[in-house]
Amino acid sequence: MIKGKAKFLLFFVILFLIILPLIKPPTYFLSLIFKIFLYIILSESWNLIGGFTGYLSFGHVAFFGIGVYTSAILMQNLGISPFIGALPAGILSSAVALIIGYPCLRLRGPYFAVVTLCFAFIVDLVVKNWNFLGGSEGIHLKLMEMDIQISRSIFYEIFLGLSILIVFFSRWIQNNKFGLGLAAIREDEDVAQTLCINTSDLKIKAFILSAFFPGIAGGIYAYYISYIHPDIVFDISISILIVLMALFGGGSSWSGPLIGAIILSIVNEILSLFIKPEFARIIYGGMFMIVIVFMPDGIVSFLKGERGK
Amino acid sequence: MRKKLFRKIYGFNILIPLFLIFYSFGLGIGAEKPIVIGGSLPLTGTFSATGKWVERGYQFWAEEINSKGGLLGRPVKLLIYDDKSDAKEAVNLAEKVITVDKVDLLLGGYPGTACTAVMPVAEKHKMVYVSMGGHMKSFSQGYTYSFGGPPLMGEWWYLGFFEWMKTVPPDKRPKKAAIYTMNNPIGMALMDSIYKGCKELGIEIVIDEKYNLPLTTADPMITKAKQMKADLLFANGMFPDGVMTIRACKALDYSPKAIVQGIGSVIPEWTRELGKDGDYIFSGTSWHYKLKYPGNDKLIRVAKERFKEDEPPLYFGFGYAWMQTLQQGVEGAKSLDQTKIRDWLKSNEVRTIAGNFKFDERGLPKPFIYLTQVINGTVELIWPPDMRTHEPVYPKPPWK
Amino acid sequence: MFNLIVIIQSIVSGLLIGGIFALLGVGFSLTWGVMKVINIAHAAFGLLASYIAYWGLNLYGIDPILSLFLSLPLLFVTGLFIHRFLIQHITRSKDIIVASMILTFGLAIILENIMLLAWTPDERLITTSYSSKAIFLGDIIIRISNLLGFILSIIGISTIYLFLYHTKTGKAVRATWQDPEGAALQGVNLQKVSMIAFGLAIASSGAGGVALAYMYSFNPPSHNLWLIFLFLVVIVGGVGSIMGSAISGLLIGLITGLSNAFFPMQWINVLLFGLLMVILLIKPEGLFKK
Repeated sequence: MIKGKAKFLLFFVILFLIILPLIKPPTYFLSLIFKIFLYIILSESWNLIGGFTGYLSFGHVAFFGIGVYTSAILMQNLGISPFIGALPAGILSSAVALIIGYPCLRLRGPYFAVVTLCFAFIVDLVVKNWNFLGGSEGIHLKLMEMDIQISRSIFYEIFLGLSILIVFFSRWIQNNKFGLGLAAIREDEDVAQTLCINTSDLKIKAFILSAFFPGIAGGIYAYYISYIHPDIVFDISISILIVLMALFGGGSSWSGPLIGAIILSIVNEILSLFIKPEFARIIYGGMFMIVIVFMPDGIVSFLKGERGK
Repeated sequence: MRKKLFRKIYGFNILIPLFLIFYSFGLGIGAEKPIVIGGSLPLTGTFSATGKWVERGYQFWAEEINSKGGLLGRPVKLLIYDDKSDAKEAVNLAEKVITVDKVDLLLGGYPGTACTAVMPVAEKHKMVYVSMGGHMKSFSQGYTYSFGGPPLMGEWWYLGFFEWMKTVPPDKRPKKAAIYTMNNPIGMALMDSIYKGCKELGIEIVIDEKYNLPLTTADPMITKAKQMKADLLFANGMFPDGVMTIRACKALDYSPKAIVQGIGSVIPEWTRELGKDGDYIFSGTSWHYKLKYPGNDKLIRVAKERFKEDEPPLYFGFGYAWMQTLQQGVEGAKSLDQTKIRDWLKSNEVRTIAGNFKFDERGLPKPFIYLTQVINGTVELIWPPDMRTHEPVYPKPPWK
Repeated sequence: MFNLIVIIQSIVSGLLIGGIFALLGVGFSLTWGVMKVINIAHAAFGLLASYIAYWGLNLYGIDPILSLFLSLPLLFVTGLFIHRFLIQHITRSKDIIVASMILTFGLAIILENIMLLAWTPDERLITTSYSSKAIFLGDIIIRISNLLGFILSIIGISTIYLFLYHTKTGKAVRATWQDPEGAALQGVNLQKVSMIAFGLAIASSGAGGVALAYMYSFNPPSHNLWLIFLFLVVIVGGVGSIMGSAISGLLIGLITGLSNAFFPMQWINVLLFGLLMVILLIKPEGLFKK
């Protein structure tokens, strides 16, 4: 529920974000916000299966990476622009989610987490050893011809659009029947089953949806980064970070991952600016500990709880 | 009386101009805007061990040049961010130093994946980027602003070894080679020169396998090499797996005629941690402190006095060498204009502690590599002959 | 490569390494099973013991085994404190397993960077007079360092087993795990019992860390590399099962060793993770469900 004033504010924030590239800020800021958009897309998508349904996938970076490689191969071998190639990338990621979803979603809790983690490791290793995909040398994509200010702005706007899309999509799901079904699974899957909710069906749908947007984002990211290597796009810390962002903000709400992604990214940025590297990392680690001890269900729940009192 | 007064005034007259001269001199140095050289290095995370030494190499170069009056008469300031051993962060931070901090010059990162990822950014912003590069592929993308000064080219890594082996009488050369390579860009690049070299020298490759890091045990692979009677072992790995491989060789009593290690045997930890067992291992390198190029003696001294290291660590030297290349580019072009620097670097010779380079249109010097061997706990230079510091020990003596 | 010597050597090497996997896994399994805490910082604590051993050896010439007399109690007490002041606070949350992962994730980062500050990122090795020596059984070689690590594992795992099955506190730990409410009704102090179990687990990680240090070089980020093997051991063996962890550790070591002999090495990790996935999908409780 977004109240009137908040709607107004939101409108202006989005408008500001859209116009930002026009004032030609240093491309670093565009890239920084681009990175935040990426994490918003990834963690909001993840949250569909993670926070909403309660199935914590620790291998979600695999879907992102599959998207990156798909559009990279299409570009390198068929000359298809990643802006177009992003769609098949998203579809392929979803297809993979469908295939591994069936067996994996039968597992609960930490077992699901570990099996998805394994899956991500396996994909990373397979790509590293497969010469067609560049193996462990990686893939070099041709750079976009245009001025970097313009190209960064394009990537920024696309990801802005995707972020808005996924956030509204997530909100829509949370409030409709599908989302309520997922919440029921999260609360108590066995009870949900006795209520005649087709849990397998819902779970697999959520999983596929949660893989689609990371696939698309990956497809576009390939062009942004232009040098693709398994260590860069199958990096397990991305997987862990999106889980943390979503849970940090609060998994049961559409706004949780959004807030988590924004806050954690900004904190990371500030820490690296002013504090010696090792201390910055110590504070970063400490932050997780503090939040989980004092706000175990995420910031959003904490804030809502406060208001509820 | 008059004489005294006259002397006083005369004295003042000397003092005032002198004072003004010194004052404006000091003011001059202080008022000069520093030249900022920026970039990122892995100061925490998996690659921090090496990242730290590159940073020290850069810092030493900066101190030295500032004590001599600076670059183009201006003091130099380094702006080094921590990319947490993440290539994506390195890319972001490169954009930061270029577009926000607006640095005058870029400094090279580590490791190769980070450098390769940053090269396109440097290219798009038309800024010169001197680094170790990311092996041949990274220099074949048509980037004009990137330079390997010196580069770390896996493809050249064993050139020195095979060139030297050509001087060994044919009946004493090894006949069968076992190759174990780590599965990452460095490892892949290393294999290039091995295939070529073995073919030229008629050495049969009996084992050719890759392994993923981290290596949990080297015993099976050494057992295999022993069984196949390979008398030449290529351990294309880094420090941790290199150490494991050597220990396995000793424990399993496998003594080929020569053991060649990828990366790791030229750093002080090798001897410090392995002791005598680390002796007689060959390796390649693009720089060594014993090279007879000017400046190396300085590094040896600083490493000892400041860091208590008997030998300057490899990347300490590399950091310094990369800065030397950049420095000469700037001084040669007499400007901070990146295109002028690039053009100067592509048409003039650069002299560094690692050698004298002329860069081609890819930003690479002619292929070169130094063959090293650890003898009695010290890394000695074996090839090229004019750089030799010790006679090679071949074949490898049995384990003690 | 069906050479018998190669095969037997692989089996022997694999089992010896497997023992160490088992020791590390046992503590991890214990905290997960008993306290529903997935301790991401488990290997990082082990690394602390590795550094203490290194310090002792290089500064005072103390043998790494002797350093355990310092690091084991130290880690035990650290474990008590961490449980009392950190973990007990997250028992309120809806999903304690997830909360524990986040908590210990942060803890692992803190530990890693403290070690980075204290010991720099340089790689370290433990080199004793007997590090490279080996015993020969015919053509089969057993490295002293591997053997020591294995013996350490046997002692460590047996100690934990004896504690759990033959001491009052240990039995209380098992009771808590199987039926927390029932145990509480019987007067078991849940808090105290959990604290002790946690301290024990951390201490066992220390023993594992020293065993590892005999064989591998290490630096602060190294603990991340061992985490995935911890998960492997615990899930294959069954969460909470001591016997399970022991056997699965040996099994995984065995598979690693043997596959080196038969496969191109680069596919070994794919094999291991594939195995883990298969086990999870077919028998997620692990091979040795309690």
